[in-house]
Amino acid sequence: MTSAANAAQLAPFGQMSVKQIQHGLRTKEFSAVDVARATLARIPEADEQVHAFLETTEQLALDAAARIDDAVAEGRMNEMGPLVGVPIAFKDNMNLTGTRTTCSSKMLENYVSPYTATCVERTLRAGGIPIGKLNMDEFAFGSSTETSAFGPTRNPWDLGRVPGGSSGGSAAAVAAGLVPITLGSDTGGSIRQPASFCGVVGIKPTYGVVSRYGVVAFGSSLDQVGPFARSVEDAAITMNAIAGRDELDCTSQEVTVDFTANLAEDVAGMRIGIVPAFMEAEGLTPEVKAKVEEAAAKLEARGAQLVEVELPNAKAAMSAYYVLGPCEAFSNLARFDSVRYGYCDPGHKDLGAQYEASRAIGFGDEARRRIMLGSYLLSAGVYDTYYYPAQQVRTLITQDYLRAYEKVDCILTPVSPRTAFEFGEIADPTSMYLSDMFTISINIAGNGGMSMPVGLGADTGLPVGVQLIAPAFHDSNMLRVAAALEVEYGVAPVAPASASGKAGE
Amino acid sequence: MTQHLTQQDVRAIAEYVRIGLNAEEVESMTADLNAIIDSLKPITEYDLEGVEPTFHPIGDLRNVMREDEFRGSFAQATALENAPRSQDDCFLIPSILGEGGDR
Repeated sequence: MTSAANAAQLAPFGQMSVKQIQHGLRTKEFSAVDVARATLARIPEADEQVHAFLETTEQLALDAAARIDDAVAEGRMNEMGPLVGVPIAFKDNMNLTGTRTTCSSKMLENYVSPYTATCVERTLRAGGIPIGKLNMDEFAFGSSTETSAFGPTRNPWDLGRVPGGSSGGSAAAVAAGLVPITLGSDTGGSIRQPASFCGVVGIKPTYGVVSRYGVVAFGSSLDQVGPFARSVEDAAITMNAIAGRDELDCTSQEVTVDFTANLAEDVAGMRIGIVPAFMEAEGLTPEVKAKVEEAAAKLEARGAQLVEVELPNAKAAMSAYYVLGPCEAFSNLARFDSVRYGYCDPGHKDLGAQYEASRAIGFGDEARRRIMLGSYLLSAGVYDTYYYPAQQVRTLITQDYLRAYEKVDCILTPVSPRTAFEFGEIADPTSMYLSDMFTISINIAGNGGMSMPVGLGADTGLPVGVQLIAPAFHDSNMLRVAAALEVEYGVAPVAPASASGKAGE
Repeated sequence: MTQHLTQQDVRAIAEYVRIGLNAEEVESMTADLNAIIDSLKPITEYDLEGVEPTFHPIGDLRNVMREDEFRGSFAQATALENAPRSQDDCFLIPSILGEGGDR
């Protein structure tokens, strides 16, 4: 019978798959309240070193779990949605009523959400159990989660290394087996790069697949929300829950595809693109290159056809991104005015001085840099030198992809040129930007990309991800290829140091 | 490295974006911004003659209208919940005219 004591004998729920949890609920091996309690109970200790969570949401979790248990008791479990009973946590730029939504910034340290983001709302409506909010680079500006105002998240595979970023907490929480599913957001690689560093599946869907309503904006023409999971199926189930038109985000599109539908189809007959220039890129480490080649060979052995494609303008993506991103961030971060919400420095006699002090204290270094850079790039005379050409380059990059997709169904590339780096190893901002060299062009063009774990690098012994890129609104293509890679490499493991813990310990 | 911005320029930008920087911060920000702007050089070297810009990844966006009917929204109290300072159901700010001085 159901009992918390029984549940404590099981593997931690955060280390289970969606289907395992739902099977246990259906067979009454445990209750949803057991799942919520045990998942929450494990976090203080299991997350002490990793520091993925900024806040846990006990009451919301227990309330959601109680509703699920009622539904199970009444025989309505099948009506509860695809994530019924699954613990889920959210990047801290996603509003959830009653929680702090800090963006890991001192600016929003005390901001309590008065509403809920659509992506969050949809996971809860699908039966998810909200466990908490996750650490990130401040306002998503970064690739290491080191710029969080509340301290960095550590990589569960090696606590001396970064988890990547900006969705570092979202990746680390899944890699450490704290929860099976998290949501992150990706503006230039912020889902895919940390997924690669932490050895989990991370999906940046095509721009417009998931509503951005209620997600604190960084680059409004680049931002997209997506899931982290340890299996392709769990990620696809989450996509089913969050995708589709939302009248509160006019850029969100009608999406009717079932993302789990083609996972068992394998890759025979698929055409998979390889980009020779990416494979020879300066800075790509031999161990990552070897893993991409290995993955390509495995896909070919399963019947896929490898086709060389060129993305000649992708090399311009980096500079286009570091023009467009800061310009959009400058505009979006103007709203933090110390009057309606956010940090307000006390004691000023005039409003101008209050603005300047509040924004100077509220924003960290990288946020300040991007705001000021964006302001400069949009100023008269400078606009024509950088911003306008960056939007023209965007046309060229989009055309590159369209041309490539005449020949292939999916493209295979590295995610990050290297595995996770050590804290402090990359201090200079322009070098940090290079960790997004393979991911950025996808945000510029707007199509979908994901990171798929393919085991450990031969030199560092750390997780390596390969990037799968799909044509716009054909995200299911990359999920199909990912599922085939998962057959070869197995479902992503929980990081070894985190894998031993039992529920409730 | 090219000097795209002087410290004087950076002070002017800081004032425009309402971020108060001290002298030391202006100095390091000037160095950082110049390095970053240098790294953007490739964007200025492309032959983009006749290339149309793409301002948004979804090109055929249309304006979406709905019926003009009343819908509930935040109550005033909710909108004020996160205000650092409020008074008489309003956001409270220091004086914006004259000598300043809070009530």
